[in-house]
Amino acid sequence: MRPGASLRLAWRSIRGHKLRSALTTLGVVIGIAAVIAFVTLGASLQAGIIGDISPDDQRNVYGWAADPDTEGGPLAGAQPIFSQDDLESVEELEEVEAAYGYAPIQSQSVSDGDEQIAQGDGLIASGPSYIREERLADGRQFEMGEREAVINPAAAEQFEENVTVGDELTITVIGGEQTTVEVVGITDSSEGLSPFEGFESSPRIYVPTDPYYVEQAGGFGIGDGGGEDGAETNGGDGADARFIAIIVEAESTSEADIDAARESTVAYLESDAADASEFLGDDLEVTFQTSTELLQQLQDILDLLQNFIVGIAAISLLVGSIGIANIMLVSVTERTREIGIMKAVGAQNRDVLGLFLTEAVILGIIGAILGTALGLVAGYLGAWYIDLPLVYPYEYVALAIAVGILVGILSGLYPAWRAARTDPIDALRYE
Amino acid sequence: MATTDTAVSLSNVRKTYRVGEPVHALDGVSLEIPRGSYTAIMGPSGSGKSTLMNLVGCLDTPSEGDVFIDDRNVGSLSGRERTRLRGTQVGFVFQTFNLMPRLTALENVALPQLFQGADRVERRERARALLERVGLADREDHRPNELSGGQRQRVALARALVNDPAIVLADEPSGNLDTETEAEVLDLFGEFHEAGTTMVVVTHERHVAERAERIVHLLDGKIERIEELDGVTDELDSGANR
Ligand SMILES: Nc1ncnc2c1ncn2[C@@H]1O[C@H](COP(=O)(O)OP(=O)(O)OP(=O)(O)O)[C@@H](O)[C@H]1O
Ligand SMILES: [Mg+2]
Repeated sequence: MRPGASLRLAWRSIRGHKLRSALTTLGVVIGIAAVIAFVTLGASLQAGIIGDISPDDQRNVYGWAADPDTEGGPLAGAQPIFSQDDLESVEELEEVEAAYGYAPIQSQSVSDGDEQIAQGDGLIASGPSYIREERLADGRQFEMGEREAVINPAAAEQFEENVTVGDELTITVIGGEQTTVEVVGITDSSEGLSPFEGFESSPRIYVPTDPYYVEQAGGFGIGDGGGEDGAETNGGDGADARFIAIIVEAESTSEADIDAARESTVAYLESDAADASEFLGDDLEVTFQTSTELLQQLQDILDLLQNFIVGIAAISLLVGSIGIANIMLVSVTERTREIGIMKAVGAQNRDVLGLFLTEAVILGIIGAILGTALGLVAGYLGAWYIDLPLVYPYEYVALAIAVGILVGILSGLYPAWRAARTDPIDALRYE
Repeated sequence: MATTDTAVSLSNVRKTYRVGEPVHALDGVSLEIPRGSYTAIMGPSGSGKSTLMNLVGCLDTPSEGDVFIDDRNVGSLSGRERTRLRGTQVGFVFQTFNLMPRLTALENVALPQLFQGADRVERRERARALLERVGLADREDHRPNELSGGQRQRVALARALVNDPAIVLADEPSGNLDTETEAEVLDLFGEFHEAGTTMVVVTHERHVAERAERIVHLLDGKIERIEELDGVTDELDSGANR
């Protein structure tokens, strides 16, 4: 029997039962749509994140201390244990170019003159080189120990009159205390500067840890708030301010230098000389990672989630193929007489087998095509909703069609075999 | 023994079904059907007529004895060869028509060619010519449920002839038809017989059987007698066959 002829006959019988055929393919549609939607989203998410790492960030190592059992991205479960002394000692290590703390400060609002804007997060205390020179669109880095800030374009545009270099802002922190900063620089983009911040665009104000974080930590009743001299005089009141995270710059971006910086930093922090060491133990360990590694972690989480969805989709596909198999079996029984007629007029077993397999494969392909379309639309809407660059994973579309064919063959095989085996004499007698 | 003048030859054929007690649906039947002949088979219900037709039509194989179609021993053929022989040498016409419900008259007629690998144009031309011969040229796009009983049977007859079979088997082809349409169908049988096709027709009705050249009477799986319709009745002692 010619392939064209069996295609036409199979298509005829699918069209003869439109509703039944539609319901049959539903399982395949849902399974493939789920996979495609998630893969599209995943690819878009990846493109959105990877597109944001700047290469000069590559020699930074980001460290925090958390329970080793904690799962999650950067800073998950982090505890503030790094003292100012620790930071300075780390910076003096031979393998380390620079080291500074990182701490988000809870704020309430920011005002420019009379205009007040509520802002709960996005106030970040860190070291001057946290803002790399080439990311400054205007002005300069802030200096440690000065009441200075670098802001990003989103923060500048919040106010009716754009904030410019030289302006003074008033920041109200949690608890109502107010402090002033002079804007000395504006960055070139509103996306996060490190994995600690996340990469989405939002208004951010970067300030030196000293005085701002040191003061605030002091405000929580640890000391008087060491003020400007906290950083300079080792062991002053300000030394009680503990940082939740630490950023270490290696000598170069080479893997060897990064590893050396990381190893010596961890060795120091775990030694008795470090203030942080007293907290470290079985349930609190330091983690140091480059942003590439952190992204890898994020990627791992994404992959895990993706595997989960793909698992669910696989189950749905399995259910879908059982559905096809079931409908095909019913259809074989229903058409026993037709099969008998075909065999009586000369159909070989393989003709009948081919006919029913073709039918199952057509159903599988239709399911795959509809599922792919649905999945792409869902992925597109999702990517659009969370504002990601859209990436279509074309190779998956081909894969989905292949899976559809495979599902069709697998689920059609047994019913088709049953049909082929039908004895024409029995079949013709079948009422 | 089979000769070139014999379309079908059965020698001492036995067909036994075992449903508890063994049932001998056919019990030692020997019969030669000459090429181009017109044979009717009669007998009471359960006498083995359909079983005989299935054997002659290559749908079934005997439990004992040999069936030759076109000088080939059906029992020694593989399932595939048997199907092929059936597809090319045998045309079936059934009491219940057995047309494919979703296919049009033309497609039904063309169906057997499909399994012999004929191409589309060839299939349609041949099917159209046959529909014309059975007088249904204007009904080619009708589905079976849009045709009358007689028309359906004519479609079935056209289908039986489409692969130019050596032999056409009809199992109670007029059982569901009124007298007038029955006559139409039987006239066609006569025409095809005239054209050289070997016809075998199972029937309960004497006037249908009388259109044939001879009548084989079956009783309890045995040939009771063979009646030659040129007047001579050839009494057959089944014992002599053994
Ligand atoms: N598949 C089967 N299994 C068991 N017995 C069968 C089977 N097919 C036929 N028989 C038996 O064989 C005998 C002959 O059956 P067959 O169908 O050949 O009769 P028939 O002469 O065609 O009768 P009718 O005129 O009613 O069609 C019957 O007794 C029947 O019960
Ligand atoms: Mg019968």
